[in-house]
Amino acid sequence: MVDIDKLVKDDGSEQSREIFWNQDLYNLEIERIFGRCWLFLTHESLIPKHGDFVSARMAEEEIIVCRQKDDSVRAFVNSCTHRGNQVCHAESGNTRAFVCNYHGWAYGTDGALVDIPLEQRCHAQVDKKECGLPQVRVESYRGFLYGCFDADAPSLEEYLGEFGWFLDTWMIGAGNGAELLGPPSKSILDCNWKVPAENFVGDAYHVGWTHAAALEVMGGELAELAGNRADMPFDDLGKQFTTRHGHGFGVIHNAATSIHTDRAAYDQFMADQLPKVTKNLGQERANLFNGHWNCTLFPNNSFLYGTNTFKVWHPRGPHQIEVWTWTLVHKDMDPELRKKIQKGAAFSFGTAGTLEADDGENMMTCTYSNRGALTRRGTLQSTMGMNHEGPHPDYPGIVGASFIGETSYRGFYRFYKEILKAEKWDAVRAKDDSWDSTFENRDFWVNNLNTA
Amino acid sequence: MQSDIQPNVASAANAPRVSAELQHQIEQHYYTEARMLQNGQFREWLDQLVAPDIHYWLPVYEQRFRRDKRPAPTPDDAAIYNDDFSMLKMRVDRLYTGQVWMEDPPARIRYSISNVEAYHTDEPGELQVFSNFTIQRHRRQTEHYTHTGGREDLLRQDGTTFRLARRKIDLDARVVQDKNLYFFA
Repeated sequence: MVDIDKLVKDDGSEQSREIFWNQDLYNLEIERIFGRCWLFLTHESLIPKHGDFVSARMAEEEIIVCRQKDDSVRAFVNSCTHRGNQVCHAESGNTRAFVCNYHGWAYGTDGALVDIPLEQRCHAQVDKKECGLPQVRVESYRGFLYGCFDADAPSLEEYLGEFGWFLDTWMIGAGNGAELLGPPSKSILDCNWKVPAENFVGDAYHVGWTHAAALEVMGGELAELAGNRADMPFDDLGKQFTTRHGHGFGVIHNAATSIHTDRAAYDQFMADQLPKVTKNLGQERANLFNGHWNCTLFPNNSFLYGTNTFKVWHPRGPHQIEVWTWTLVHKDMDPELRKKIQKGAAFSFGTAGTLEADDGENMMTCTYSNRGALTRRGTLQSTMGMNHEGPHPDYPGIVGASFIGETSYRGFYRFYKEILKAEKWDAVRAKDDSWDSTFENRDFWVNNLNTA
Repeated sequence: MQSDIQPNVASAANAPRVSAELQHQIEQHYYTEARMLQNGQFREWLDQLVAPDIHYWLPVYEQRFRRDKRPAPTPDDAAIYNDDFSMLKMRVDRLYTGQVWMEDPPARIRYSISNVEAYHTDEPGELQVFSNFTIQRHRRQTEHYTHTGGREDLLRQDGTTFRLARRKIDLDARVVQDKNLYFFA
């Protein structure tokens, strides 16, 4: 049996190493996290026409996402209700039906069972209405489609909560919003899914050391971080944020495009957009628009705004993930700039990326060192910046003072524990007004801003 | 699969094959290239064997139904490598910074190059060459990865040797079975 109270501290500042290894805990994560949270599927622009589909994944479940006649989108389980065979093996396309390779059962683009070959002659005893492909809830936030297995879960918008307010900065702040360029590149990484999720949610600390080589060669503002040599006033350079349901991010101010090496056109685009963000959303979010964001949308959807990489870490058991990577672009970018961005994003964080290549081994050995049962008795720390954080007059959620800190780690693991312990979503809802009480220094920002 | 957009390259179907002697030179050239990459002589590889106008490309192939008539990827689409010389140089320079921790201690890599088929193109001195590769990577104590695929090169004769002007790499695996593809195929 898994005793969650022994695995994660309430404030998210300490975790048992067990959480990166234990199979029973993984099974509980599948049930209570991946079975109840909103998981990234695809972007609406990748399935524009009726019959357009993509094969997606929700943790270990194979899912089809398909555009309907009435322009809505449905998602359903990619497994025949007869004997369980996968009904679609293509990653994307346009179709009128999904026909199972095994016996030829055919499903419509809405997932309904429409044909059983030889139905009458075989004396089939099937109520076709009852045997459609199981439907998954699907909702869109600004064109980004997420799926959820739990009818009791809040809406996607409620699930994002204050994180949606932040995402709006670049999803609607300037013009027509953001979209993804596919197809995704895919790779296997032998690590627990939480290792990259926590890294993207709040680890600017590793950037200067893990990525020293790439930063030194690629230049840009972040090159000063390379090798941790710089004597920089970190508190002025950025912030960290965490929100109700564990979604969080770190921002490095005025560094949005810094990882791109061919960036003049991108810089110009950003400069052109900025006044619109100020006008549409106000100064607070305009200040974030030019920042570089490292984000995780709980549980396993991570992205770097500015660097334009957008990823899902699909768990494959407790010790392996499949990484899917798209390119994140603004819809208003012209085709030339989009191509440039796509190239640049692959160069830094694609499967052969100059920075991506630095992370894999860390993530693998952060998992595999816990294979040893005696090592696994230990705990791991994410205490950096504790008490240098709190409610902020200008921003929702909890705001950490420095972009190098672990505020959003703590926010991630705080919610991780909460959702694992909750029997139902109602238990989570009951804490909607008190969730952030684990961040104890309530006056940090009032005092800090007054002093300033 | 469609090949790269290479207006100077004749299609293999009607292009003349190179002579036995030239074929031999090209094969020896590939073995030398493989040995350089195995030995970590990345700067020598770039300086001596790569043309300044290189396009080094590893596209992302999605698995689609045969009836799907969408065109094969072009260099404007998603790719894992889509590099010009300056990008390749940054990749190489990164390996010499002394700060690539995952290559310290260094990994081992071994190349087997086979199925070399070389053709003359309409451009004198430029050759279209197809080959297959098997690349074995061994890392740390027990990590072992195998990558197989094909290459379509445009080689430019440069005195007694050749320079790589285009390389299109078709990796066989859709889901890369390795933590990264940071090596030169």
